[in-house]
Amino acid sequence: MSIIYVLIPIAMIFVAIAVWVFFWAVKSDQYEDLDREGINILFDEDLQSDEQKPRPEKHNDK
Amino acid sequence: MCCPGCEAVAQTIVDSGLTSYYDHRSENAEKGASLVPEQLSQLAHYDLEQIQEEFVKQSDDLNEITLTVEGITCAACAWLIEKQLRQLDGLHFINVNTTLHRVVIRWRKDKLKLSKILTEIRKVGYKAYPFQINQQEALYTKQAKSYLRRLGLAGIATMQVMMFAIALYSELFTGMEEQFIHYFRWVSFILATPVLLYSAQPFYINAWRNIRNRTLGMDIPVSIALLGAYVASGYATIQETGEVYFEAISMFTFLLLLGRLLELRARRKASETSSNLLRLLPSMATLIEAETESLIPAKTLTIGQIILVKAGETIPVDGTILTGISNIEESMLTGEHLPVHKGKDSPVFAGTVNVTSPLTIQVEKLAQNSLIADIIHLQDSAQQNKPHIEVVADLVSRYFVGALLITALCTYIGWYLIDPEQAFWITLSVLVATCPCALSLATPTALTCATAKLNKQGVLIKQHHVLETVNKIEHMVFDKTGTLTHGDFVLLNTTHYADFTQQQCIDLAAQLEKVSEHPISLAFNLQQKNTVQLSNVINLPGQGLQATYQNKQLKLGHAQFCNIDSPLKSKELVIYLTLAKKLIASFELGDTLRTSASEISQYCQQHNIETTLLTGDISSKSEEVASQLKLTNVTKGVTPEGKLTHLQKLQKSQQVLMVGDGINDAPVLAGADVSVALSSGTDIAKNSADVILLGEDLNKIITLRRTAQKTTTIIKENLGWAIGYNLIIVPLAITGHVPPYIAVLGMSFSSLIVVSNSLRLLK
Repeated sequence: MSIIYVLIPIAMIFVAIAVWVFFWAVKSDQYEDLDREGINILFDEDLQSDEQKPRPEKHNDK
Repeated sequence: MCCPGCEAVAQTIVDSGLTSYYDHRSENAEKGASLVPEQLSQLAHYDLEQIQEEFVKQSDDLNEITLTVEGITCAACAWLIEKQLRQLDGLHFINVNTTLHRVVIRWRKDKLKLSKILTEIRKVGYKAYPFQINQQEALYTKQAKSYLRRLGLAGIATMQVMMFAIALYSELFTGMEEQFIHYFRWVSFILATPVLLYSAQPFYINAWRNIRNRTLGMDIPVSIALLGAYVASGYATIQETGEVYFEAISMFTFLLLLGRLLELRARRKASETSSNLLRLLPSMATLIEAETESLIPAKTLTIGQIILVKAGETIPVDGTILTGISNIEESMLTGEHLPVHKGKDSPVFAGTVNVTSPLTIQVEKLAQNSLIADIIHLQDSAQQNKPHIEVVADLVSRYFVGALLITALCTYIGWYLIDPEQAFWITLSVLVATCPCALSLATPTALTCATAKLNKQGVLIKQHHVLETVNKIEHMVFDKTGTLTHGDFVLLNTTHYADFTQQQCIDLAAQLEKVSEHPISLAFNLQQKNTVQLSNVINLPGQGLQATYQNKQLKLGHAQFCNIDSPLKSKELVIYLTLAKKLIASFELGDTLRTSASEISQYCQQHNIETTLLTGDISSKSEEVASQLKLTNVTKGVTPEGKLTHLQKLQKSQQVLMVGDGINDAPVLAGADVSVALSSGTDIAKNSADVILLGEDLNKIITLRRTAQKTTTIIKENLGWAIGYNLIIVPLAITGHVPPYIAVLGMSFSSLIVVSNSLRLLK
């Protein structure tokens, strides 16, 4: 049982780290917009080159 | 595609390779109007240094701005805007917040212009505006962040403390070695310390403030219980005797903070939505100096300078007319619904709109001395004299706190006489067990749920007392123009004389009006069904419009301009249409009542609420509106000061709710017990109101009152439960029959009941 004299302080260090991470997250405004980031992963970043070429004829419409 | 505008937007999106927007958007965007070149050129005003200093944060080579964006519906919009702007050279940082409908942008000022950024956002179909963050919101944001940190810490630490507490509880049943008990107590002590010293700080600060102001508040027993239990448990840990309450106080702190944070968030949401409405439009003036015109920011004007105000423009300063004759729309300032005819030497005021023809104006007063500035001053003083509002929950908790403190003191004295050793511990268990937790959650949770619900229905509550005060309202005061009426010209009556049909006449007039900026033209535009071929259309500002139709001269304007005797006598504005000097039609134009106006006045009658029409308009239109709506009293032709004195007279005997929208309503709104502004109203009115109605439906006041009544019932139920629970637990605690874990369970249970009762408001 005396192992808890070592394990509990280690657990408390982890708690301290968790608190620090939470403070950092609040500070960097991560709790300001909760709807947004979850969907962000769905967006493709590299569509640009494939999409621009097939429709050159529509450019003059504007 | 619904319109060329959308097609252009879609094309921009596809061309830029941003089609993911269409794949992942979860809601369709609002239909937008196409870009008008004029609007785009107006955006260029935002580039001026003097205009920018109001809302742009400048550093060495980076500028930062927060914009409110109209039309953001989901995360796809945010992605689209970000991607579109990141293609710009010189953009340094962009973040779109979908919950707040705002964008933060940082850019290099030597490479990029603000107008370019705004144009790019418009190109993908959104409208972005600089806006004014109100002070209240800035404060809420800061507080919410600090509460969130405190809550997070309390949450994480409480979990740990509870874990050790369970180990300690099990000791009661199975027995544990002495050394482990002390070890667990020490660990709990260490973990509970930051909760008590950091997370619970706001309660201590509030309690101290209460003591200094010599009032009793919920935070006083909270602080005594927290600190008392903490010190005693710490003492018990060090001395290895007695009981420890670390888990109870940590959880207590956590739950209380949670309640406060939710309350704050609801209030913050309301003030954020209302600050998004306070758009900053560049106020520009055309300065005439040595025969040349130049466009400068209005606030740099000095007395004596001469400016040109074109038809349709807002007059930027107070001054007098030098040349020109025009109609000026002053309804925002005076409540008069017809534009006022003004000529040489007449005074004009900042914020009013020059309707018909260009004017040159000599600047008489600087912006800070203008009539609007006087009204704002009046508004500030009205705010200070606002009647003090006592909220029932405060009153109840004050008596409760008083009773609780006396009980605790008596318990201590009583037990001290019987058994001095136990006196301290039992007093403490009285404080923890009675635990004002449920009581202090009773009101905030109910108010939070009601505020959130109303927010969704388009009623923004800026002040919390509203939900209670609105139930006691005995008198509703309404402004006329723009509040009970639409505030726009509508075609009321068309009389046609020659062999033209009514619709033909309207089509002809509408076609003519296309070139005009007069508010009247809108009234015709709405009614037009067919387009007509007209040539040589000429706009003669101040007089009327003329054109050639089927080789004959077509004229639209007042009787004099059309060379006819006015055959119609009307209280409204009448204009005539002639073809080859022959009268073919006459149009009656006026302001119409909102449909919701009669419903709200009926509601007031049914609920014995007196009603007053309080307007600056002198015309007989006021009586007409009042009799149509069966309002009890009419006071017309009053100045902003007059409105305020009238209100204060009413307030001597009654609680008054004021509904308004204009600049002239601002002081009354600030002084009323409850004030309501429409989102279409002026910024000054919205700033001083307690409640803002999104949209134009006055029926939302009824919704507000109903929700408020329900909220009051729920608050009473909550308080009843919390007090009832205490009546049972206090005698047990006083006699020393409540062990710590029962106290904690009871506390959590009663808090849960209170919270779930409040949640019923969300349904």
